[in-house]
Amino acid sequence: MSTVSWITARGLFGRRRFLLLLPLPALLVLLAVLSRALRVDPGEWGPPVLVGLGLAVVLPVVALIVGTGVLGAEIDDGTVVHILTKPLPRWQIVLPKLAVATGVTAVTVAVPLYVAGVLAHSVRLGLALAAAAAVGALAYSALFVALSLLTRRPVLLGLVYVLIWEGLLGNFVSGTKVLSIQQYVIALADRLAPTGLLETSVSVPVAAVMSALVSVGFTVLAIDRLRSFSVAGETS
Amino acid sequence: MPEPTGVIHDIGYQRYTGPRLGRRQVFGALYLHGLRTAFGLGRSAKAKIFPWLVVGIVTVVAAGLTAVRSQIGQVVMTYAQFADAMSWLVIFFVAVAAPELVSRDLRSGVLPLYFSRPLPRADYPLAKLLALATALWLLLGAPQLVMFLGAAFTTDDGLRGVWNELLDLLPGLLYAGLWAVVFASIGLLVASLTGKRAFAAGGIVAVFLMTTPIVGTLSIMPSRAVNELAFLASPSTLVNGVGTWALGDLLVGEGGGGLPIGDFGPVYAGAAVLLVATCVVLLLARYRKVATR
Repeated sequence: MSTVSWITARGLFGRRRFLLLLPLPALLVLLAVLSRALRVDPGEWGPPVLVGLGLAVVLPVVALIVGTGVLGAEIDDGTVVHILTKPLPRWQIVLPKLAVATGVTAVTVAVPLYVAGVLAHSVRLGLALAAAAAVGALAYSALFVALSLLTRRPVLLGLVYVLIWEGLLGNFVSGTKVLSIQQYVIALADRLAPTGLLETSVSVPVAAVMSALVSVGFTVLAIDRLRSFSVAGETS
Repeated sequence: MPEPTGVIHDIGYQRYTGPRLGRRQVFGALYLHGLRTAFGLGRSAKAKIFPWLVVGIVTVVAAGLTAVRSQIGQVVMTYAQFADAMSWLVIFFVAVAAPELVSRDLRSGVLPLYFSRPLPRADYPLAKLLALATALWLLLGAPQLVMFLGAAFTTDDGLRGVWNELLDLLPGLLYAGLWAVVFASIGLLVASLTGKRAFAAGGIVAVFLMTTPIVGTLSIMPSRAVNELAFLASPSTLVNGVGTWALGDLLVGEGGGGLPIGDFGPVYAGAAVLLVATCVVLLLARYRKVATR
């Protein structure tokens, strides 16, 4: 574990505000347990809990908070200068931070999704959801880490993507689904465990290729942007 | 014993003798400044991007609805339904505006400066809350006015048609006010908890988004009372429920489609009032603590 990833992990966990991330996954598990205990048909509670809450809200929001937190918070504070002045290649800064962001997001999201998936259908669905969520965590984290280098307002731009592109347009304009990480995750999970609980319009090869493209592309972009990064004051 | 060496020179400082403005003017200035901040007025172009993006989308949608209505002669969306359809954009606007209003002041530590003025503790958060609520109301109300003007100028019934249209518009504006108050109080409370704008924005969206699936789950529980009370769990469906109860036909239109809240309408209204009151009380308590630092 490199020093950069150690510092990043401490920056994430060292503050009390990390506790703010816990209610989201806890709520996911709670709703799944409640539905199961009251013997509601999984076909009815599965889609709103697994997709509506888990993949559409918990995964992107956790990834957004963590992904912009690993690098964006340091840029905001100005402490990123300390890392930038060390004789490290830029990829050795971006990759550990991305790894920490992906790991934290994946664990925070995959565990409750696994529990909910097991309760909804089978262990296989749980594992499929967890694996797909991990892939999604990588793609989202790469996107949001790159965003925090491209703009001074990464959270708001990330919210535009999550709320307006995936949330609002995804419901009305089917074409935007091809460029939506959320749909890739659903498609991958459905391929790993075909149950009928998950519905998507994106084909599996497209989802796999696009997830890989998004992850690699935005990582390369982030490394490139960090090469020519200029430190400036807070935005007005 | 040495002679005292200090001397006080008169270098010409003068006391301020003009009129001193009181609490009301401070409140008014804070309110006006807050309202301008919400839309990024008087600030750099970067600060205007996100608020005006939302305003632009909302206005374009309203103009599109007006055009469609004048062409095919049917009401696509009533005034009250417009507020419901824009709920995601309202959430985003709150996530943009609320941290700008309160988180910046927390972070830069200027609150002691504010409270060194003749400004009671409660006035600062209340002015900000009022500003945010007004901004949200304008965001939802202005497009409705666009729709009203479009309808009024294309009506075939003369003044009577305009009058009927106005009677439809006023409840829509009231409903927009309900949206504004509920969303502003929740958003400002969340934003006042942290000085980091990024975290505040994420927190606000998390609160609003994570409550929606709870409604979805509760409404399929095997109990009719739980189903009809499920919409209490999320702010947007709570407002929607109050609207369904209070506005009835104006909200749901002729085709039906309102929320199935059964006979629990008054419960929804009570819950909305309670929610806003709780948020305001917590906000005031928060500023009682922050202000002493």
